Amino acid sequence: MGKDKLIPIFAMIVLIIGISSAIYVHATMVNKDTITIQGEEYTIDQVFSIAQIRTIKTDEGEKTGVALDDLIKKIGFGCTSCHNYVFKGGDGYQQTISWDLMQKGVLTENRKIYFPDTAHALWVHDIVEIEVK
Amino acid sequence: MNKMKLFAGIIVFGSLWGFSECIIGSSLADAGLPTGAIMTGFFALTFLVMSRMFYRQPGMQLGMGIVAGGLRLFNPFVACHICSALAIMAEGAIFELIWYKLSFDFKGMKTLTMQGSMGIISAYCVFVGGYVVTQVLTPIIAGSGFYLENLIVFMPRILSSGLLPALVGGFILPIILLAKNLDINISLKDRYYYPITAGISIFCWVFVIGNWFLLS
Repeated sequence: MGKDKLIPIFAMIVLIIGISSAIYVHATMVNKDTITIQGEEYTIDQVFSIAQIRTIKTDEGEKTGVALDDLIKKIGFGCTSCHNYVFKGGDGYQQTISWDLMQKGVLTENRKIYFPDTAHALWVHDIVEIEVK
Repeated sequence: MNKMKLFAGIIVFGSLWGFSECIIGSSLADAGLPTGAIMTGFFALTFLVMSRMFYRQPGMQLGMGIVAGGLRLFNPFVACHICSALAIMAEGAIFELIWYKLSFDFKGMKTLTMQGSMGIISAYCVFVGGYVVTQVLTPIIAGSGFYLENLIVFMPRILSSGLLPALVGGFILPIILLAKNLDINISLKDRYYYPITAGISIFCWVFVIGNWFLLS
């Protein structure tokens, strides 16, 4: 089969992959107002009432929110530095964060995590779950 | 082709691509438009295909990606600058791979179907490939480490996000290829070619870096 037939077929396959992925993403999108932390549901107000507030400087200005390390300690995990923490967004995006980084990070009222001096790829937004690994 | 002339071409097209990513991309993001789709489907594809059309040299688009990504690093005001710079560099390399077996004179792309199809494939693969590369490399560079499970669960989102750039690319490539008929000649006399390419490149870099200083 020549390129003149193969290339349109590949283009069709690409479009089918894109469309079917879009349908899947839409169907599996998580929309909720609470954050699941190790199986327990917390509202953002509850999270703010549990842990200390911290302000950090980022290249997008100052960000104020709940200190992530304090949140984990207050929720009651034994060896906090023995674990990594997976932050999951409603759109399926997730990042695994080490304890060292947790000690510098904040979770803001709009449910986004920030860290100073790090790539924005770590700034997961619309947090729906925090999993301890 | 004279290597110096090719080098100047890589610098000028890479700078234009980087400039559009930094300055136009920033404005598109502020306006709430799908920046990634427009930047890859329209701007990146235009610069990549036009440079290939005019210079007909292998490796040029790879070099352009490095230049454009380098320039993107100087404009950290739109989203993740390390991610974007890595994505741009990867996009140049992926485009080079996709078009590796295709002739430089675009002889195989006479029909609109072929042109549109190549636009779809190029824009989709370049966008998705760049996205995947940045998802792998950014956490490593940021020091938090790469976790395969994070990429796997996010893959449907990445694959779906390539749809819009693909549609834009499928529409835009046949239009770009109309430039073939313009018979644009890059064999300007050296005394014009080098000052023009240097002038455009310097403008792009000065504007982007100046923008960085003004905003910081």
